[in-house]
Parts: sequence; C-alpha cells; structure tokens
Amino acid sequence: MKYLMIHALDEDATPRTGSNGEPLELAAWIEEMEARGVVLDGARLHPVSDATSVRAPNGTVVVTDGPFAETKEQVAGYDVIDCPDLDSAIAVAAAHPTTGAGSIELRPFDEGMPDPEVPESVPDGKRRYLMLVCADMRRAMAAELDATEVHADSVPERSSADDEEEDEPIDRWIADAGARRLYGWPLAFPDTAVTVRRVDGEVVTTDGPFAETKEQIAGYDLLECTDLDDALEVASSHPVAATGVIELRPLRL
Amino acid sequence: MVHTSHDAVARSFTESWGRLVAGLIAWCGDWDLAEECAAEAFAAAVPAWETTGVPDSPLAWLTTVARNRARDRLRRRTTEDAKLALASAGATDQVAPADDADIPDERLRLIFTCCHPALPMPARVALTLRTLCGLTPAEIGRAFLVTEPTMEKRLVRARAKIKNAGIPYRVPPPELWPERVEGVLGVLYLMFNEGYAASSGESLLRVDVSTEAIRLTRSLVDLLPTEPEVRGLLALLLLTDARRPARVRDGRVVPLAEQDRSRWDRGLVLEGTRLLDDDPPWGPYAVQARIALCHDVAARPDGTDWAAIADLYSLLPATPVIELNRAVALSMAHGPEAALPLVESLAGDLAGYYLYAATRADLCARLGRTDEAVAALETAIAQAPTGAERRLLRERRDALLAR
Repeated sequence: MKYLMIHALDEDATPRTGSNGEPLELAAWIEEMEARGVVLDGARLHPVSDATSVRAPNGTVVVTDGPFAETKEQVAGYDVIDCPDLDSAIAVAAAHPTTGAGSIELRPFDEGMPDPEVPESVPDGKRRYLMLVCADMRRAMAAELDATEVHADSVPERSSADDEEEDEPIDRWIADAGARRLYGWPLAFPDTAVTVRRVDGEVVTTDGPFAETKEQIAGYDLLECTDLDDALEVASSHPVAATGVIELRPLRL
Repeated sequence: MVHTSHDAVARSFTESWGRLVAGLIAWCGDWDLAEECAAEAFAAAVPAWETTGVPDSPLAWLTTVARNRARDRLRRRTTEDAKLALASAGATDQVAPADDADIPDERLRLIFTCCHPALPMPARVALTLRTLCGLTPAEIGRAFLVTEPTMEKRLVRARAKIKNAGIPYRVPPPELWPERVEGVLGVLYLMFNEGYAASSGESLLRVDVSTEAIRLTRSLVDLLPTEPEVRGLLALLLLTDARRPARVRDGRVVPLAEQDRSRWDRGLVLEGTRLLDDDPPWGPYAVQARIALCHDVAARPDGTDWAAIADLYSLLPATPVIELNRAVALSMAHGPEAALPLVESLAGDLAGYYLYAATRADLCARLGRTDEAVAALETAIAQAPTGAERRLLRERRDALLAR
C-alpha cells in the first residue's frame, strides 16, 4: 500500500532529539529506505513564508500569501512510501528524524496509484512546486456515508454515465496542466490518518491528522512550472479551487 | 560647487533610483545585489560629479558604475547563484547604453513584482517603497511605526519569497491584467492613506509616504496610459491631497466642514480634475475621485452637492463602510431622518467601527435625541484608533452635554 508521509514542523521550535539524545540522521534514513525500495518520491519544502494559496470561488481567482491553514506545525516536506501495511508504515515514519522535531502524518493514497516517476534533475528554467489540494472533507465524508446508506436501501445505484460526468473536470484539468504536472493522486479521507511523534524519546502514534483544521489535505500534485504565476494558473483551474483551497509550496532542491 | 553636486545627486536619486534598480534587476536577476550596487553608484556620484560635473546622462552613468560594481562582487563570489547571475548579466565588461533614452524603463516589471498577490500586503508596500522609491528600511520602518530590524526582516523575507517561490519579474500577460493592475493600485492607495493618516502630527519624524505614493502613481500614469483607473487613482490622490494644507491645525485633525478652504491647493484640484474622464463607466477610483471633487469645488460646506455625492456612492460596491458614507451624504442632502434607517441596518456589520458609532451619534444629535447621541459617542471614543480622533469625539460629546 502506498502512503503519503507529511512532515509537519514548527519552524520556530528547536528540534527535539532521538531516544538516546543524539540527533536522528536523515541521510541514513533515506539510504536505508531507498535500498529497501520503500521511498518512491520525496522532497523538502521551502519555509512556510514562501507558501502561496489560491482559491477560485465563483470563478474569481484569489491569490493570498501563506499556507491553507495557520497552524503551529506546518508542512515542511513529504515522502511517498510503499509498505505492506500501516504498522510497517508507522515503523518507517518513526525512524525518520522528523519525529524528533515535529510530527509525521501518514495518509493512505486512494487505491490504484501508479509508482510516481520523477526525474532527478529539473530542466533549465523550470521549478518544482508541491500543490496541496485542500478541502472541507467533512462534507465529502458525509456525502460518502449517505451514498453507502443509499446502497444499503437498494435505491438505484449511480449509473456509470454519472461517474464519467463526475470525473470530467479533473480529467480536463489534468489534460490542461499537461507537462506542467508530473504526477498526483488523491488521498484517503482524513479519518484514515495517523500521526507519529516522539514524546520523551518514545514513539507515540495518534489517530487523526497533524492538525485539526476545517480544511484538510485531500490530495496533491507535483508541478514543474516556469514560475509562480505559471503554477498559480495550473492551481487556480483545479476543480477543488472553486470550493476549497490550493496551497503551492516551492520544493527545496 | 559641493552643494551643486549634492543637489544634482539628490535630484537624480529622486528621479532615477527606481529606474536604475529596475534595470539592474532585469540585468542580473539579483534583487539584493541590484539595490546594494545602486546605492554604491549614488555614493560614488557625489565626489565624481563634483570633479567632472554632472554627466549629460546621469542614469547611464549610474547604470555603468552599478553594473561594474555588481560584476566585481559576482566574480568574488563562488556560489552557483553568482555564476548564474554573472552569466545572465554578461561576463564581458560591455558598457551600459551611454544615453538615458536608450535605457529601457523596467519599472513596470518591478512594480508588478513588488505588488504580487503572493506577497503579504505589508511586504508589498515595503518592497515598493524600498526598490522603487529608494527609501531605507529605517525610513520605511518609521513610516509604519516598526523598528528598523523588523522592517529589514520583512524585506529580506519578501526577497527570499520572490526567489524561492519563483515570483516572475515581468509585466503580467493580458489574462491576469485586471487582477494585477488592481493589486498595484491597491498598494499605492494603501501607501497614500497610511502616509495621509500619519500626517496628523503625532509623529513628525515619519517620512512622507503619501508624496511617494503620488510620485509613483504619476509614473504609472505614464507607463500605463491606457488604463483609466490609474488616472482615476491619481485624480483621487491629488484631489484628496489638495486639502492637506488645511487638514491639521495646531497638531489636531480639522474636520472637513471646519477646514479653511482658502488653504486648499487649487493647482492640485485642477490637475486632478483634468485626469477624469467625462463619460461613464467610471471605475471605483474615478468615482471616489469625483466624490473628492464634489468637496473640493464647494466654496463653503453648505454649498456641497450632497445629493450628487450620495448618487456617486451608489456606483461603488455596496460594502458596509460605503453604505455608511452614502447614508451620511443622504442625511446631508435630505435630512437625518432620511438616513437613520440605512445607518441602523448596518449595526451588525459595523459594530466595532468607531465611525459607525460616530455617525449614529451625529444623526441622533441632529434629531434632538441627545441621550442616544452621547451614548453612541462614548462607544466611538472607546473604539477610535488614534488620540487625535478620540480628542475630536470627546469635544463633540462635551459640547452635547453642555447644551
């Protein structure tokens, strides 16, 4: 199963240390996890002061400075990992140095995600941005629940034609983004999240996302664009921008 | 002779700083380096122009000196960034164009980048004042009542975001035009208002940011001659600034109705009026400029065409504050009873806004409802943001109580 590891750090805080007091090593983690074929993609992000958010209610694009939600801990990086189950994903997360300084939220991807293929080098004149697609998921979760109950009552199922229609906006968006989008995939609902921290050197796993905010990360895309305006154009035309918010974070390469 | 050189450099600084920095950023892509070397070029101009005289093309002279300094610094650095900057700037010591007229004016790119919506608003204002007007962090800090290190940090963070997030250095393409032009005008308007509010005499040290805002908007009118709202904004700033000589007396703000109108600057009123298009549609800045003009052309307060002002307010987006202003105009045109229902309908939206309470107080007082008026004034006094405004409201309250 593929999971997204969301590294959440309080940029103003001093890092905590590992169980024996010594700093946990990032290089060692990467080396081990790549050798085991666990890590498929990952990157660190520029600080949250470099974040830009975009919304497009009623088709009017509104660009604002800052992240999608003002929380103490902020997204500082991500890794895509492939593990047999949640317990092994938790073990992989627990071994990461982020747990000595902040939190790691683990979120399963929706099923069917292909292995991301991200070229090592960025072409001249291009930059990479992590695009966090954020939405108020309570509504979506409630809708899902309703749909399940509807099934149970054996009311006619949604026809496949409806499904196709529903998929249309995102497919059109992917086509429009073209080469500016390297890959992306939706995440399972936030109620599937677990967060891994270290408290007094001990690994603590809690239920739920790293921060309880109205809008939650619903998925992400990795963009490769010429500049922020180029990335904003892609982000603002995402179907979720109409109801939710898209955060753009430049990758630290 | 020393004076002449100093004056010439000071004049060049006012006229050319923005163009020099904008051109240097376009040339090397490094904001810090561009600013540092522009400052050094001006410093070098003082002794140089004293001996050789002021060059025929000061901007070309400054550009050549600044580019040479930038090249020297880049060569001494060994980082990848420096190599890139040097490559984009051209490693050969070719001289900058010898004539000012041959140097492209890159200020439009600079102002659109400084006012990019991805930057926090205070950073947009600070960056614009630093890079386009040449104000130092200490001066900008004083203008916005923050310390120099705080302002310096704000500028550093803004430049870091431009670099890290890849905010482009360009004039935006047509599809982004309306949004981005509006953004630039918003920054200039905010800058003017901050400066205008600060000129109330509480801090004489504060740099005149309003004048910088007007100067920049004037340049923008030249750079964007086809944008009616740029002219509308300049008209609004001039028609408001025209009243500045009468706005403060003995360190206190004088209300419009009590200002000595003979002190208003007729030259600015005339210039502002000429900028306005006769025929609608008018954008929000042009409408506000026309409202300012209604006041400016009234020889006495009771000669103000309040009905026209109320009509103009109805052309603006109906936000609670605009509606409050429209209500004031209606009360002046048709009496307080005509405006009170509109004012009271805004109670929920404007509960924390001192001018809401002050307006209600005024209407109640005019209707003879003194107790209500005094109570509303107490609220306004508690909510007013500055000492000068509180003083004015207290005087009004005391006058009511003395009746």
